[in-house]
Amino acid sequence: MQDQVSDYLTRLLQSQSNAKGLDWLGKQTQIISTTAVPVKLYLAFSQSSRFFKKAKLTLSREQIDQADHLTPGLQPQFWDELQTARTVLLLSYQAEKETWFNTINQLFETADMYEHQALFAALPVLPFQEDLIPRAIDGLRTNISLVFDAIALNNPFPAKYFPQANWNQLVLKAIFMQRPLYRIKGLEERRNPALAAIARDFAHERWAAGRDVMPEIWRLVSPFVDENYLADLKKTLQTQDNLQMKAALLALRESAYLPAQELLESYPNQVSTLDMDTLAWESIGSEFQRTRV
Amino acid sequence: MYIDPHIHVVSRTTDDYEAMRKAGIVAVIEPAFWLGQPRTEVGSFKDYFSTLVGWERFRASQFGIVHYCTMGLNSKEANNEALAEQVMELLPLYVGKEGVVAIGEIGYDDQTEAEDKFYRLQLELAKDVDLPVLIHTPHRDKRKGTIRSMDVSEEHGLDPKMVIVDHNNEETVKEVLERGYYAGFTIYPHTKMGSERMVEIVRQYGPERIIVNSAADWGISDPLAVPKTADLMRKSGIPEEHIKLVTYQNALTAFGQSGQMDEQDWLNAAPLDQTKKMSGNSVLRGGQTPRVEGPSDIVEN
Repeated sequence: MQDQVSDYLTRLLQSQSNAKGLDWLGKQTQIISTTAVPVKLYLAFSQSSRFFKKAKLTLSREQIDQADHLTPGLQPQFWDELQTARTVLLLSYQAEKETWFNTINQLFETADMYEHQALFAALPVLPFQEDLIPRAIDGLRTNISLVFDAIALNNPFPAKYFPQANWNQLVLKAIFMQRPLYRIKGLEERRNPALAAIARDFAHERWAAGRDVMPEIWRLVSPFVDENYLADLKKTLQTQDNLQMKAALLALRESAYLPAQELLESYPNQVSTLDMDTLAWESIGSEFQRTRV
Repeated sequence: MYIDPHIHVVSRTTDDYEAMRKAGIVAVIEPAFWLGQPRTEVGSFKDYFSTLVGWERFRASQFGIVHYCTMGLNSKEANNEALAEQVMELLPLYVGKEGVVAIGEIGYDDQTEAEDKFYRLQLELAKDVDLPVLIHTPHRDKRKGTIRSMDVSEEHGLDPKMVIVDHNNEETVKEVLERGYYAGFTIYPHTKMGSERMVEIVRQYGPERIIVNSAADWGISDPLAVPKTADLMRKSGIPEEHIKLVTYQNALTAFGQSGQMDEQDWLNAAPLDQTKKMSGNSVLRGGQTPRVEGPSDIVEN
């Protein structure tokens, strides 16, 4: 599987990176895979910035599907050339577990910001996944949004492996840092009552401080709407803010709670303009990012 | 615009950063050095090196200053041989990173055998990764130590153009320049150079391959030494183009050979934004208002 992913990522680079960089990368992966000497990996990993730019990859529809087929949820369309080259280097280093972790831990502990980005985004394609969970959890303590995003956004790793408490911390921190929630993989599937309560407390704190609430947080609430949440959604509907209202209506529409359905019926015109659920949340999230963050 | 190509900003305050920026410093190079307190564990080196490419770089950027660094095992701590061996194993992790513009500062302190051993190993490392070298010349027995540094560097086949010999004085400058090296001068009160002596050196030797720095650190030193010396040169009638060479361009040319330092890094820098955060820490504390400004606010000289 590692080889398949590596071949796939190399092909992505071949369609847009310069020949000199590709030639260098080919030589480095050859040396690293045949010798497995950590220093060769360390040097190549950091020096990649001399050969590859931080230019976003451009993927065809077919290439996007291929990525998902190789590793469910993998989205290299959000990666740049430099981190892709670094991921190819990581995959070329193969060793038994203890040796592999000694080497990779050094990379994590000495990484600069862009190296961290590459390492964390690569988690879903690295070996020994379960043993990498503490590393991912620790990585989320960063407040560099570039590094946080590499773990939290467009990355299937947390939803697949995080225990609920850590998952909830990830989502709450994303809210706190005003990151786009719709880009968190598995957000909908891993909604839970504890997270809904955390979101609600957060909203109350914001209101108490006279601040706006990120509209996407109501997506976390919708499966659990009861009379308390309904009061919050009513309050949100009264903000007269288009994005907030849309989010509250979506949450009501997703809820099976009868009073929620009744409340929804009093907004027939607004409801008729809403997209399908996933699309609607995405458009609210992206508009909020574009206009408010 | 000025570059201070040798300053240990981890030891300086945010007031210093603000004053440096106001005085026209656009970029700094922070050579890896000792911390006053000797390190006893390799982990202390690791976190220090990570600070140079991580937190300190970010901190400088919040004041509109581009931060580069050099990586190396300094000569003083080379004398703890067991530890030095471990640091040598660590260096390959850092020398290839973005913004690492040289191997340094390396060379001699007491000119011991251990210092010589690790100096040579690091010259070889510099050749392997094609980086310039920043040589620290000793405080004691300086002239001999300086000449020995150059002899050994040549023995290892390094091109003098790739080597910056630092902390020169009137006794060393002539030979360093004649042999084709860049000559660094540190304006540091009491121990190294005063700015008036510096003016005389530029008058006598001209501006070619001469580089002025502050080496400001945790001692009594001046993070504004470079702009202050430039002002004194101006008052003393040194031509403007010569001042530019010794306080800006020569450093850029010398360390730019790393491929890791480009004028565009500060000319086209993103607008200053103190709202960015890193590793859970901002340099701003509760209640302080972030200073956010557009690119037009660059202090020109």
